Amino acid sequence: MSELAPYDHTAVGRKVLISLVPVICPPQYVHLANEIVDHLALTLGASPPLLRKGFDAGLLTYDIGALLSHRRRAHKLSGERAERYYASWEHGPTPLHTQFARALNQLMSMSCYEQPEVMDAVGYHVGPWIEEVKQKRLTVFKDDSAKQAAQILAPDPLRPSFRIDRIKRPNVRKAGA
Amino acid sequence: MVAARALHEGIRPSNVFSREDIHGDTVIDCDVVIVGSGAGGAPMAAELAEAGFDVVVLEEGSYYQTRDFTANTTAMIRQLYRDGGATMALGNPPILFQEGRAVGGSTVINGGMSWRTPEEILERWVKDAKLDVSPAQMLPYYERVEKRMHVAQNDHDAIGKDNWLLKQGADAKGWEIIPNLRNQAHCVGSNRCAFGCPTGAKQSALVSYIPRALHFGARVYSNVRVDKITMHGKRATGVVGHVAEDFGGRGYNIAVRAKLVVAACGAIHTPALLARTGLSSRSGALGGNLSMHPNVKVVALFDEDVTSWKGVHQAFQVREFVKEGIGTFAAVNIPPSLVAMSLPHRGAQLGGLMDRYNQMVVAGMLIEDHSTGRVRTINGRPQAFYQIDDRDIATMKKGLERLSDLLFTAGAKQIILPLHHATSVYSADEARRVLAQPIPAAAWEVVTVHMMGTAKMGRDRTSSVTDNFGFMHDVDRLLISDASLFPTPIRTNPMETIMALATRAAGHVIDNARRFLS
Repeated sequence: MSELAPYDHTAVGRKVLISLVPVICPPQYVHLANEIVDHLALTLGASPPLLRKGFDAGLLTYDIGALLSHRRRAHKLSGERAERYYASWEHGPTPLHTQFARALNQLMSMSCYEQPEVMDAVGYHVGPWIEEVKQKRLTVFKDDSAKQAAQILAPDPLRPSFRIDRIKRPNVRKAGA
Repeated sequence: MVAARALHEGIRPSNVFSREDIHGDTVIDCDVVIVGSGAGGAPMAAELAEAGFDVVVLEEGSYYQTRDFTANTTAMIRQLYRDGGATMALGNPPILFQEGRAVGGSTVINGGMSWRTPEEILERWVKDAKLDVSPAQMLPYYERVEKRMHVAQNDHDAIGKDNWLLKQGADAKGWEIIPNLRNQAHCVGSNRCAFGCPTGAKQSALVSYIPRALHFGARVYSNVRVDKITMHGKRATGVVGHVAEDFGGRGYNIAVRAKLVVAACGAIHTPALLARTGLSSRSGALGGNLSMHPNVKVVALFDEDVTSWKGVHQAFQVREFVKEGIGTFAAVNIPPSLVAMSLPHRGAQLGGLMDRYNQMVVAGMLIEDHSTGRVRTINGRPQAFYQIDDRDIATMKKGLERLSDLLFTAGAKQIILPLHHATSVYSADEARRVLAQPIPAAAWEVVTVHMMGTAKMGRDRTSSVTDNFGFMHDVDRLLISDASLFPTPIRTNPMETIMALATRAAGHVIDNARRFLS
């Protein structure tokens, strides 16, 4: 049996992502940088291992690539310089640059708007709404819902005259038993 | 009363097993093993179990109940979607697609659209593939599925404002718009279909066919990934797999010995399972013929509050342009995180747009594609390749032009087109002008949830993978039961047809029980 650990960003990856929050996320949510980057790790953790490795490699390349144009690693850039460096990938020299910048934008925007404070700010109060409509279904439509549940279990054979005579037998065992 | 338990929250039925229940390498004997518990696997399990077959269902994902479905969108995606939703067909542009990975399969995360395949498409299958699937022949199976899944129109008072705006626009244009048929029993409009219905109204396989299968004695093993089908000569004899641990870990080995093997893993994973087994089709069509119903969406901004997340998902479908290959237009609300993810904007510009989230209508369209792709199996994992062709791009452009026209007619002030260079348009004329320009393929943002055709049915074994019922040609006791059977795309939502074909194939197995149980 193999046991794998949950995904976490590399040290460099985390620094790069934190530095990108002011570039990608709306300015009023920059104070949520740590939460946004933590959330992004959860999302990546559910993705295929190859994609995670590719993403980590992309972040490293993004970080080091800034040395050429800005003489600093990307995670040390801020303000206008960070903005310009990201834009150079966004409209990048190769489709790979563009795709990676797009992926960063998508993942970080998603993580930003999944923060409770941000959802609240845009007026998305879905939790209370779910509770309200759930109660409605449990009360107003209680009888019809029960009728449907009964219908699901009611006998209705596809071939009415047919039934296999099943011989009861033990049918689960440990290998080698 | 195991089945009743599947319908009651908080109690796991005694014949549903998960990784915690398996404490060593395990061998299971049964009559029929079904790999996959979604639209193809669950009806098959219920029908065969009711007829008395000893049925085992294997599902890679976990078993959840309605109370597990929360308002946490991304947590639901991580739990219910294969690879956290990060599955992609490679091409230009790459196409993001989604598959469910939970007991109930993709029916747990779909919008609950329940439509029969259009008659002219069934007639085409009869004519071209020589299948016994004429509208009259399929009718009893569709009716049976519709009864079980409670297919019906939505309650009027649960329909949200985004859908009424869509209808208003279509009516003003004089275009055909019809109430959607959905597998739901009093949907109350939480608009969370894609993240597991939190009210239990959507009659996914999880709350319909699976409880029924359990009631009639089927056993469901969740968290089991099947590595391959075991063969004795040309005959399928069972499957081997392992317990799927968290974070991709590999747990104890599982072997199931069965008299009939059913592959119901969907159009991406079924060909991969067959390839891992070493099976191929003399037609060369296994894994090929991949159709995807490419799907694009627009974000329309209105001056007034729409609050699209209050109300049923896709209450109406615009069907005016079906004959031109434009399947449907529908209002498809998605949570703010997924809207933000789909927008190419960033920084203050993103913030400005998203502040108007409650004034947005997200509307989508799907096209009946002519392009086809292929699923290849690389290191045991499937990878889809799909290159959308110029003809389908032209159809998308035409559809978007009309969808924009409809939304501006309904009162939209701005529409963001699904193009990576952030194109906003402010009138129907402007949309027409922009879409008349050449647009590089790479600029499109295309998604899909309808993957079909990778093990197509047909009488001729030199041009199809499976026979009239879905049995793989030249292999004994291997039945395929999912959308990979479709010879062509069907222009509408595939769930009900997958279920109807599964019901039909189950009837054939029951009629020939003596042969299959020998």
